[in-house]
Amino acid sequence: MKRRTGVIIFGIVVGVLIALAVVVGIVALVRLDVTGKRGSGLEKAFVYDIQELVTIDPNLILYEESGQAIRTGFKAAHGIALGVDGRIYVAGDKAVEIFEKSGTSSGRIELAGAPRCLTVADDGKIYIGVGDHVEVYDGRGKRLASWGSLGEKAVLTSIAVFKEDVFAADAGNRIVVRYDTAGKVVNYIGKKDPDRNVPGFVVPSPYFDLAVSKDGLLRVVNTGRRRIEAYTFDGDFEFSWGEASTGVKGFCGCCNPVNFAILPNGGFVTCEKGLVRVKVYDSGGIFAGVVAGPEQLVKGGVCRVCEFPAESQASGFDVAVDGDGRIFVLDTIKNVVRIFGKIKGQ
Amino acid sequence: MVRPGYIINRMAVFLVLCGVALGAERFPPPEFVETNHQLPPINQITDVTPRSDIYEYIDVGVLLAALGLSSYLVLRKRSRRAIFILMVFSLLYFGFWRKGCICSIGAIQNITLSIFDPDYAIPITAAAFFLLPLVFTLFFGRTFCAAVCPLGAIQDIVLLRPVSVPKWLENMLRLFAYVYLGAAVLFAATGSAFVICRYDPFISFFRLSGSLNMLILGACFLVVGVFIGRPYCRFFCPYGVILRQFSRFSKRRVTITPDECIQCGLCEDSCPFGAIREPTAEWPVGYYEKSKKRLAYLIILVPVLAFLCGWMGFAVRPVMSRMHERVRLAERIYLEDTGKVQDVTDASTAFRATGQQTKELYAEASKIRDEFGLGGWLVGGFIGLVIGLKLIGLTVRRQRVDYEADRAGCLACGRCFEYCPQERLRLKNAKEIIGES
Repeated sequence: MKRRTGVIIFGIVVGVLIALAVVVGIVALVRLDVTGKRGSGLEKAFVYDIQELVTIDPNLILYEESGQAIRTGFKAAHGIALGVDGRIYVAGDKAVEIFEKSGTSSGRIELAGAPRCLTVADDGKIYIGVGDHVEVYDGRGKRLASWGSLGEKAVLTSIAVFKEDVFAADAGNRIVVRYDTAGKVVNYIGKKDPDRNVPGFVVPSPYFDLAVSKDGLLRVVNTGRRRIEAYTFDGDFEFSWGEASTGVKGFCGCCNPVNFAILPNGGFVTCEKGLVRVKVYDSGGIFAGVVAGPEQLVKGGVCRVCEFPAESQASGFDVAVDGDGRIFVLDTIKNVVRIFGKIKGQ
Repeated sequence: MVRPGYIINRMAVFLVLCGVALGAERFPPPEFVETNHQLPPINQITDVTPRSDIYEYIDVGVLLAALGLSSYLVLRKRSRRAIFILMVFSLLYFGFWRKGCICSIGAIQNITLSIFDPDYAIPITAAAFFLLPLVFTLFFGRTFCAAVCPLGAIQDIVLLRPVSVPKWLENMLRLFAYVYLGAAVLFAATGSAFVICRYDPFISFFRLSGSLNMLILGACFLVVGVFIGRPYCRFFCPYGVILRQFSRFSKRRVTITPDECIQCGLCEDSCPFGAIREPTAEWPVGYYEKSKKRLAYLIILVPVLAFLCGWMGFAVRPVMSRMHERVRLAERIYLEDTGKVQDVTDASTAFRATGQQTKELYAEASKIRDEFGLGGWLVGGFIGLVIGLKLIGLTVRRQRVDYEADRAGCLACGRCFEYCPQERLRLKNAKEIIGES
């Protein structure tokens, strides 16, 4: 009798155990998230929510967009420069489009290759970075010279002229090439050299900008370090400013600022990609304010941040500044030039 | 004959494509200046060394050797202990060492995909893992299940207190395996998913990692497996379904006794898998006439069942097709576009970033759904046919005079050997012969 009771109890226990295992197994199977619909399940602290950074304090915005944007007509615009006469030069596709101050087109220079950058000298000559070399044109679009290739890896992303010197930023080789106006290489700037305290350029993406300041020093963006560095024309590293930060005062992401321009007062206008921001710093690199943030640089009427690699690469806006301090932003997503002026009272 | 111009053209295209690839790598990797982190050589970053081919051939070799040894141990040596040792080896090698991949069960999907997708080239290992156990089963019975399959092994090891499953329940539960096989083939054929791998309950144990849900599912199978012998093998294994049919026609197979059955009945309860068939009694009077009529009805019922199940398979195509990611995406895009949901998902955002037209996506999803419609008819029809044949099988009364291992259901584990007095006699005689010599 005792044995029989034991057998019955054992049977009940086994039955309950099996039933429990079956139910738990079915629940586990049903709750299995094979499509990843429920997300990672990580807490909010682990979520990289860039949307929080989109909104910028209105008190920090010093500029407003003035007038109609200028349509470049390009499918892929890359660089902008201003002539001393106030004309606007935009490089894109396989051409350079020239616009009057009013925004009307006044000429076009057809190129054999795709330009990435350009600058206009005081004498009206246009220096264009086309792939691995520099081409020089006069104001009417006549080609004056085509300088030699800087090598298979060369990708010219910025160019600047100062008196008798021409500086070209080669993102592929991560170096700045100093030419004379005849196209002869004078020296290289920025090659990593601990003995000379030259840190070397870290260029993770094809954005590498430069400009010459009124103080006679060359400014080069070291995007990987998220700062702007100052060099003498002979290649001595002088100082730098800028810090990596998602906050409005710093530069966000892997490699920013992508482009910059120098204001008449010696300050800087910077453009960041990804989290698209155009900001202003004083000549010492102290944050001064914002020209436009993601909410101002709207796309499709909806405030958004560039989330995909291709979009992020396309969001590397270029910038130029005229003598009145107006800021010309080349919107490389919409392929238009947007002009910003200071808000009255700021 | 292939013309030289054709070859040159093809090579030129190849070089152009290589040029594109080189162009994409023009920008060097970043430098980690602050941390002085040194990137490994570029070939180690971009060229992850694949597992050497030789190991795949070794796997096939080990499988072949294990199948051969298992067949020998089951049919000639008749040693449960040796079978168990081989089983542990298979668990360690194919399970924990090879992390459960590739396995013969999952290879069903590779075979299916290779049939339906002309762009898919099946690995020779997958083909070998699918075919070799079938060939061995055809000659020696289910010796693969006995000691080679790691999924069977892990369940066999935990079987401590076997309880018998009623026949009706066993027959009913076994239908799951047919449904699972049909679904696995359908999803693989449509390129939707390899569900056998996705829902393998033991893979998390073999890989010592996996989602919590799969670990729980595996643990539940093992808990059930403590009392019910090899629940996955008997009620869910899609490969087992195929092996069952091959085993019916096997040239040689397990016998409980090495000699003549003396019908002592000692082996009756020895099989934890309910695969021992008892001798049948004489047919009751009038049974033959009754069963003949029943059989006739069932034969008529088979096509009806096949049609009904096929129609059901067709009817559930909207649900089934959601297993395909393009269909899921199309449905999501539709919901977003019609304002039925407000938020967006990563997948829908990524789709919109591609610039592809929504119409194209809908057309693609619609085509996939149509494929599921046809597949639903076929799989449903197959399941209906199985149910019908199962009913016929239950109706047909077979005459048996001895205790026999079920031709299809016997997993050749060898547990029954020692229960047979004839076997004990054989072993005793063998020992005596060894002692005398």
